[in-house]
Amino acid sequence: MRASSNPTGTLARLRLSPENLHAAREGSAPGFRLAGAWRRMRPHVLLALPVLALLAAIGFGLAGWRILRDDDTIKALQAGRDVPVAVDAASPLLLARVQHLARRGVTEEIEPLIDVLDRRGEPDRSARARYALANARLRQAFGYLERGDLDPAGPLITLARQDYRRALQDRPDYWDAKFNLDVASRLLRDFPDFDRKSGDELKAEPNKIWTDIPGQPRGEP
Amino acid sequence: MRRAVSTSLVPLVLASSMAGPVQAQVRAVEVRAPRAFGYMLGDLVRAQVDIVVEDGFAIQAASLPQRGALAYWLDLRDIAVSQADAGDARRVRLDLTYQTFYAALDVRSLEVPGFTVSFVSQGASGATTASARVPAWTFTISPLREILPPAKENPQDYMRPDGRVASLDPRPTLFTGLGFAGLALAAFAGLARDRTWWPFRVRRGRAFAAARRRLRGLGGRPDAAEAYREALLALHRGLDETDGRRVLADDLDRFLDRHPAYRGQAPGLVAFFEASRIAFFGNDTARARGRLARPEIAALAARLARAERTA
Repeated sequence: MRASSNPTGTLARLRLSPENLHAAREGSAPGFRLAGAWRRMRPHVLLALPVLALLAAIGFGLAGWRILRDDDTIKALQAGRDVPVAVDAASPLLLARVQHLARRGVTEEIEPLIDVLDRRGEPDRSARARYALANARLRQAFGYLERGDLDPAGPLITLARQDYRRALQDRPDYWDAKFNLDVASRLLRDFPDFDRKSGDELKAEPNKIWTDIPGQPRGEP
Repeated sequence: MRRAVSTSLVPLVLASSMAGPVQAQVRAVEVRAPRAFGYMLGDLVRAQVDIVVEDGFAIQAASLPQRGALAYWLDLRDIAVSQADAGDARRVRLDLTYQTFYAALDVRSLEVPGFTVSFVSQGASGATTASARVPAWTFTISPLREILPPAKENPQDYMRPDGRVASLDPRPTLFTGLGFAGLALAAFAGLARDRTWWPFRVRRGRAFAAARRRLRGLGGRPDAAEAYREALLALHRGLDETDGRRVLADDLDRFLDRHPAYRGQAPGLVAFFEASRIAFFGNDTARARGRLARPEIAALAARLARAERTA
């Protein structure tokens, strides 16, 4: 505003020159518009770049720290220490916890963790967790059989076979699961007292949901 | 892999067209598999069923077997339907994936149950249905372990171990983080150089940034007239340095032609040169300050320094 009242008239001459200059430079260089855009953006890019890089560095640093901490927990669990693990922990940590519980034979705490792995859509880890659970049950069944206590062993073997089967459904090339399913299946042959035809398959039968609960009386007297 | 398998499919069962009214509608049913032997517990068993039907017949999806357990030893995992024209007929292909859970003691033959598939054709006189019977077929399963494994004291030793979670390696993540930290440092150095922060205080092509800093340093001068003249001189020096020669009021439009980045600051520069003329040639600092006060000079220098960064 103040400049327009300028008595020297410098600005009036200036007003004309930009268009001339712009046209001249545009004609001479085809990439001029792009170069101009870059010149205008450069200060903003230079400001944004260190901020974004710093945020990324902090993010990766936090993730790395979390992995370090999880690895420590996994090592502690594998060393046999009973370290609690939250259900929202990383999947490898959950699997390590499942394997720890399976070694100690605490099968009832394993199933919620397997459900979490299932919900996360990780078939490989679900399969390995189910395999560990089935192994724990099979070991318990062996324990009963060694003491000559056949009644509780049968349902445990059936549950183990179901879990081996589910593990194999998630991972058909899981050779350890195939092997142990074979071991469990032959136990049923070796002890024909067990109900051989009982719910090994996983057919959804809403009316017979409780047929495989251990200790449930089944069949005719 | 699946394609490689299907090139070597072996026909297992060939059911020619059946007698009766169905004859014309369902012409052939063929079951094929990559092999009918050498399966073990837990293996996937694939089969391909080709059904040739009269043109116009479409498969009824509801009549296909359901996924899930078919028997205590057999699951149907997947069934895919594809159709193609085959001369005057239509070929419907079912790709079936089974999984067997039979724990065999010896090699033995297992029968995969057959099923019936319905087809329907919508004619002018109403719908015609036809059904194709996919026959049962057999494959042999092999045992995984010897019939009588060597005796072990602890029965648990027959089992394979539980497995262990591999230890986690944080290094890739941490190194990526370090890489980004280095990038942030380099980018910050670039920003500091662009803004002439320490240690890039003195650098070529940032004359207005230097002028602005000099203006800030004038803040506490007691003699206001002297400080005002120094402020004008600081900005003059910035202009001269930018252009590489002395810039006077009459050179302004040529200066702006040579440095179009500052064209937006033309009104401010015109006022500045006017104030400068009054202050130095008219020797009237008070009137010059009325034209362009000290804070306005500082603001102009800041705008010029910002424009300088986009030059």
